[in-house]
Amino acid sequence: MATARPGWSRRAQYGLFFSFLAVIAGIIVGLVLLVLSLVAPATFNGVRGAALDVTAPVASALHEVTATATGLVSGAGDYWDAASQNGELKRERRAMLRRMIEAKAILQENRQLKATLQLRDQAHDAIAAGRIVGSSFNSPRRYAILSVGSSDGVQVGMPVRSADGLVGRIIDAGSVASRVLLVSDRANIVPARLLRDGIPVISQGRGDGTIDVRPLEVGRNPFKRGDIIITSGTGGLYPPLVPIARIVKLDDDGAVAVPLADPANISFAIVEPPFQPSAVAAEQPSSPADAP
Amino acid sequence: MVRAALAPSRRRIGKGPLRVAAFVPAATVVAASFLSALPIVSTSGWYPDFGFLVFTSWRLLRSDPWPAWWAAPLGLVNDLFTGYPIGFSIALWSATMLALDLIDRRTMWRDYWIEWVLAAVLLAMDQWLQWRVAAIVGARVAFAMMLPPLVIAICIFPFSAWLVSRIDAWRLGR
Repeated sequence: MATARPGWSRRAQYGLFFSFLAVIAGIIVGLVLLVLSLVAPATFNGVRGAALDVTAPVASALHEVTATATGLVSGAGDYWDAASQNGELKRERRAMLRRMIEAKAILQENRQLKATLQLRDQAHDAIAAGRIVGSSFNSPRRYAILSVGSSDGVQVGMPVRSADGLVGRIIDAGSVASRVLLVSDRANIVPARLLRDGIPVISQGRGDGTIDVRPLEVGRNPFKRGDIIITSGTGGLYPPLVPIARIVKLDDDGAVAVPLADPANISFAIVEPPFQPSAVAAEQPSSPADAP
Repeated sequence: MVRAALAPSRRRIGKGPLRVAAFVPAATVVAASFLSALPIVSTSGWYPDFGFLVFTSWRLLRSDPWPAWWAAPLGLVNDLFTGYPIGFSIALWSATMLALDLIDRRTMWRDYWIEWVLAAVLLAMDQWLQWRVAAIVGARVAFAMMLPPLVIAICIFPFSAWLVSRIDAWRLGR
């Protein structure tokens, strides 16, 4: 560029000098856009959504191939120890049946109690169901790409869950695809509680597919291995009583948990309306479309 | 050097550079960025930054695989496909073009090892900046978490450089 003199030709010298200026301009434009997208993330919603719409169909089409491949591998693994697995599953099934009856009784009782208290939750029907067709590959952020978009009614801020548990929330919505901020992302903080005794905790992603769980009250570490964390509904973004993660390791003042909904394995994810729409509006002051 | 190579060769009749030879490098970079549309769900994020890997491979192979200002639009495409904050790759890729030009002035000689070291430094800068930007928007993680993808990217660079040199030979009809 401008660094080496190409010879005595004025034209060639100017050409090099202007390409040098162009690169400097490129750096400046890039920095300005970067600052814009950091301080006002909603600025580029339109163009990001359009890019999602371009990539997602490819991912959806190829999804079947990888699903088949991984299915073959895990399927072969399942044959390997079919007999012991069978016995284990039978035991689990018996235990589950007992639990289910208990749960049914509790549900009935709960319904009666709620009726007497006149408590009313906002009805949350699913807005759309889609497949997780891709993810961020190589940054500290953990995103997934979902195959439903604003044409299905999906809007930025809506929580996403699967049958297994909480997946995350929508941060970019194209017309046929959207980007999900997974619960394992560092910036995704979910108010939660322990299923066992209802102790309020905070779940925050660690960026590597696992989750950090901290109790709200400092003091004794309330966690045990195998504990289940569920959403508490505090803050209004996420609906309550959705399982999030299972604790696998304790550390000094908290624990490390693994999300119950593994985005690599869940087949369908359901987009739900925000538990309390005003919470989303408060979170995203720059997108008036979400205001109630 | 490249411009001379773009002229049809007389030695082998009918084996000149491709008609679109000048656009092949940029096209491969876009294709590499598009790899992020692969339906792979990574929970650890250990995949390399394919777009930047191919971009640096081309730039280290040749001093002018594309006009210098193309770095900005190529970076924009990468930002859009990979979901980075818009402007990240635009700035980083333009700065890479500039930095490598300045380095080219200083280096007396180049070999595979120096190229690999340069690529390693650039990839490390990429990882570090991603880590910084993530920290700014509230996703501060331990930097140790960024090391496995960095090591993987550095180990993959020779393969990327080899692939790019093959594509270069093909586009020039060598």
